[in-house]
Amino acid sequence: MKKTIVPALLALALVLSGCINTKSDVSEDTATDGVSNGDKPVIEILSMSSNETDVNIVRDQLTRNGFDVELNLQPDYGSFTAQKDAGNFDVAVSSWTTVTGNPDYAVRALFKSDGANSIMADEEIDELIDLASTQAPEEHAATYQELEQLLVLDRAYIAPLYISYKTQGFNKDVLKEDSVRLSKSRALAWEPIDFVDESKRESDPFIVSQAISSLTSLDPIKGNDGSINQLNTNMYVRLVNLTDDDELTAEASLSHAFAIAEGNSDYYFVLRDDINFAAIEEDQAIDTGERVGADDVVFSLDRASNPDSVPDHRTYSLHEHIDSTEVVTDIATLESAVTAADDTTVLEALEAELDTDIAELVEEKMDADNAAGKYQVVKMTTTEPFPQVLNYLAHQSAGIVSKKQVERINTYDVESYDVNTDVAYGDQNTVTEGSSYDNHLYASGPYILSKKNDYEATFLKNPAYMADTENAAKISNVTVRFIADPDSTLSALRNGEIHLYYGIPETKYDVVEEDSKLALQSMESNGVSYMLFNTEGREVAESEELRKAVLYSIDQEEFINYYQGNKIKAVSTVSPLVDTGNELVADPAKVEEFLANYQNSKE
Amino acid sequence: MTLNKEMNKTTNNRLLKMSSEYKQASFTTIISFLLTLVLALNSFGFGTQAAKPAVLAVTIAYAAFTVLQLWITRRIRHDVLTADTLQKSTRRFGWVLLLSGLTANFFMVSFAFNLIKTKKTPEYVFAVYMVMVQLFIVAVSALNLFKPYVADLFPLGMLVLLSVAFFYLIVLVLMARFVDEHAADKRLIWIAIPLILTAATGNLFALLLSVSLLLKIRRQKQPGISQWNLIWTKITRNTTAMLGMFFIVFVFAISVSSYLTFDYDLAIANNFAVLLQPPSLAYPLGTDDFGRDMFSRIVFGARISLIVGVLSTAIPFIVGGMLGALSGYYGRRTDNVIMRLLDILYAVPGILLAIAIIAAFGANTVNLIIALSVGAIPTYARTMRANVLMVSNLEYVDSARALGSGDMEILFKHIVPNSLAPMIVKATLTIGGAVIATSSLSYLGLGVEPHIPEWGNILKIGSTYLESHSYLAIFPGLAIIALVLSFNFLGDGLRDALDPKMD
Repeated sequence: MKKTIVPALLALALVLSGCINTKSDVSEDTATDGVSNGDKPVIEILSMSSNETDVNIVRDQLTRNGFDVELNLQPDYGSFTAQKDAGNFDVAVSSWTTVTGNPDYAVRALFKSDGANSIMADEEIDELIDLASTQAPEEHAATYQELEQLLVLDRAYIAPLYISYKTQGFNKDVLKEDSVRLSKSRALAWEPIDFVDESKRESDPFIVSQAISSLTSLDPIKGNDGSINQLNTNMYVRLVNLTDDDELTAEASLSHAFAIAEGNSDYYFVLRDDINFAAIEEDQAIDTGERVGADDVVFSLDRASNPDSVPDHRTYSLHEHIDSTEVVTDIATLESAVTAADDTTVLEALEAELDTDIAELVEEKMDADNAAGKYQVVKMTTTEPFPQVLNYLAHQSAGIVSKKQVERINTYDVESYDVNTDVAYGDQNTVTEGSSYDNHLYASGPYILSKKNDYEATFLKNPAYMADTENAAKISNVTVRFIADPDSTLSALRNGEIHLYYGIPETKYDVVEEDSKLALQSMESNGVSYMLFNTEGREVAESEELRKAVLYSIDQEEFINYYQGNKIKAVSTVSPLVDTGNELVADPAKVEEFLANYQNSKE
Repeated sequence: MTLNKEMNKTTNNRLLKMSSEYKQASFTTIISFLLTLVLALNSFGFGTQAAKPAVLAVTIAYAAFTVLQLWITRRIRHDVLTADTLQKSTRRFGWVLLLSGLTANFFMVSFAFNLIKTKKTPEYVFAVYMVMVQLFIVAVSALNLFKPYVADLFPLGMLVLLSVAFFYLIVLVLMARFVDEHAADKRLIWIAIPLILTAATGNLFALLLSVSLLLKIRRQKQPGISQWNLIWTKITRNTTAMLGMFFIVFVFAISVSSYLTFDYDLAIANNFAVLLQPPSLAYPLGTDDFGRDMFSRIVFGARISLIVGVLSTAIPFIVGGMLGALSGYYGRRTDNVIMRLLDILYAVPGILLAIAIIAAFGANTVNLIIALSVGAIPTYARTMRANVLMVSNLEYVDSARALGSGDMEILFKHIVPNSLAPMIVKATLTIGGAVIATSSLSYLGLGVEPHIPEWGNILKIGSTYLESHSYLAIFPGLAIIALVLSFNFLGDGLRDALDPKMD
């Protein structure tokens, strides 16, 4: 019997293998990967585990193009930074959001030799960055195009992944749909937000979520990250604001109007007289009676542009271009200065925006009375012509703080500051419930932080912020709920626990859209994800060929596919701000060529 | 009158309880009915408001067999109550029920084999399960035919699996014919040897069967029943334990044969053309958010779950067992030092210790195994110590000592082998826990790397699509539940079989 079985089975196998496709049948053309000689180069990807999906896509693409990939996933930002500082990576998955909406900010800190977040040094790139910063928007597009070409396509210091959309979902049964703004760069402004049922303005809080509960610092210049950007934006007023599509505006800011003098180095701001600082007393927000005036502006900008004004100054690189700030008391100064835009004088330009013409400039802020024509004007001078400085002034780190209050709290010596004994203005411990609670904040913005714990932070309306104007905050209480996990946040939004969730995951848009009580707002953001190449001690640091092989392995289409079309192609961090016309196209043939060059150079 | 009725009822209940066939028959009826219900629910697409013809056909087949099963159950009941044994004609229906194998109703096939044969030796039961495992593997592997392409070794692998399956069928017939309770035909030794070789495909029932067969052939002339045979007779009569064992062996065998019949690329390479596809023939369990085939991922994930589960039980078994044995045998200071140190280790919560170890040394499979092992050492040491304390007071240990045996000889030759039974039971029960711990850690991002198919990893992705693509979470979840439950069933069966008090 067995004699017949074996041939029969063999025949069956033959038939089987004849009519099915085996792997090598279908993949003959892709079977030859770029590396013919030598070992596969090993690429170690460092990332936070929250970027797991991006890492997986990159890992897959690199593996397909003939690399061996090792993963170094770290659970949180702290351990990620530690690994990055220790240099334990070939590429680090990073992201950057240009919160000021200007291209200089998108490159200066990251790629200039002395940039705060930079790990590279390339003279040509430094020159291009400096050149572009002095140019007006019409001219700088070409410079940024050149910069991108050099930085990414020619020298491959970074490998771009995608631009994200900025998306927020909110409960339209609770919030008035047209009162919720979504701005490209600016953090969410709370003051225009209103309830559908206006009678609840006083009684109910507006509840918004935030992922990070540990606040870096409530002193504007001491922080620039996701933990405080939204909070400080709503707690401190600035000289200018950005509109939803990143145009500069004086609306809802401390100034009635601003003007740029000829030469792009002198900037004039005429201040409002209807904002007072608020403080917290016995859990209530009170009007301190102290007006937000020119002396506070001068004080705030001086300390922003002085690296030694506070310990842990985290935003100096944004404000280093400010040379000096002063109060203008002589109206003749305004009459003699000519604006950069046309031949009108600064005075005329400013008055064009005012209800009452400027009759007198006052030194003392309490003397100002706009209705009577008594104004305060501040003049700021930059170290070099730098029109983009206004974008930096719109950033939360240029928020105006109280000179009196900050000087009263910051009595320590900056040189010998000890974090354990000295209390700095804006220290989160002073607003955290418990024994260390001692709220010393003076808020110039529409809201003031009353108290926080690990679960939520409570903000109260500043009663003396542009009271009786349309810019006054509508809702009296704002609660910021700290929820770290995106899926939990989405659940909280859907079950009504929170009213607004900023940053809905791309793969969850349909869930929000299908929910009848939720509305989804979405626009292109300034956030770019990219991979940063190591510049020290690794093969990728030495070999441009190897870096370019990695660069051209990246297929951005696949990212867009994964995120269900909700990502945009990018070339560099400038991409969302300036249309440079560059594009990164994945090219396995180039990868093969670069890898071969790399292998040859090693031998 | 009423009393009489009551008495009758009690007697009937006792009679029915005594009949293993009746017990299994009602169990199978209930399970089949539930399966039919699940299928019926799935056969109607609520989204499209239309029936799905394929699922509907399967549902009808299941329903038909369930009705047949119900009828047979009633017949068995009648037989048992009237004649105390099953009629030959009732047993013949087992052959009809065998057809339910075409619908992959494992429970019914198992029952059918049970029904067909009056006297069931462990060898017969092993052979039945061996054949079923093999057929399941062939069927599951064959599903790959619907894929765009199959692994290079697939035709060869299928040939091997099919021929082994055919060989097993022959073995099953031989077992039914030539093996009885006490003796086996001597010529069967020529079957036993190739059978051991086929166990290389991962079908551990083949190994069990051949060992059992060899032992039986060797003991031919000696009177009485061997310990091995006694234990396995008890286990094979325990339906739930066999159910558990079947699934464990199946998972093990599919992990082994997946080296031949499954393509690893389908499980880890992203395919953006087929993101989040619902289950279909090409992708029997659908695809995940990277377009990877869930079916392949779960099959490959079984490998890691089993390896980590078994190794992270074996390490504390050996280390803890040694420490416990030394501690129990030498007593006094040795005991105090070892056990107090282990108490300190015991005071640290196991999962916390695992998280700390992984956070310190990085997330990979080796660290995962070590992390899960360390925390389990004290409980094994305690179990072993208690057994050794008890056994070392027995007379035969004293006599060994009187005969001049050394400490090590007494400990490892006389005491430890007689203290192992509770350890084995404990180990079986904790493998399930280890599988869950592995999956939990992976779910938290602390286990193996995220793209590696591991059940916890798969479940993690599924959890984010719970609402829109629930199958991504349901299938890995079911796999974890089934494996853990199987180990628990087997552990319970082993405990019953190894416990002398249950005799």
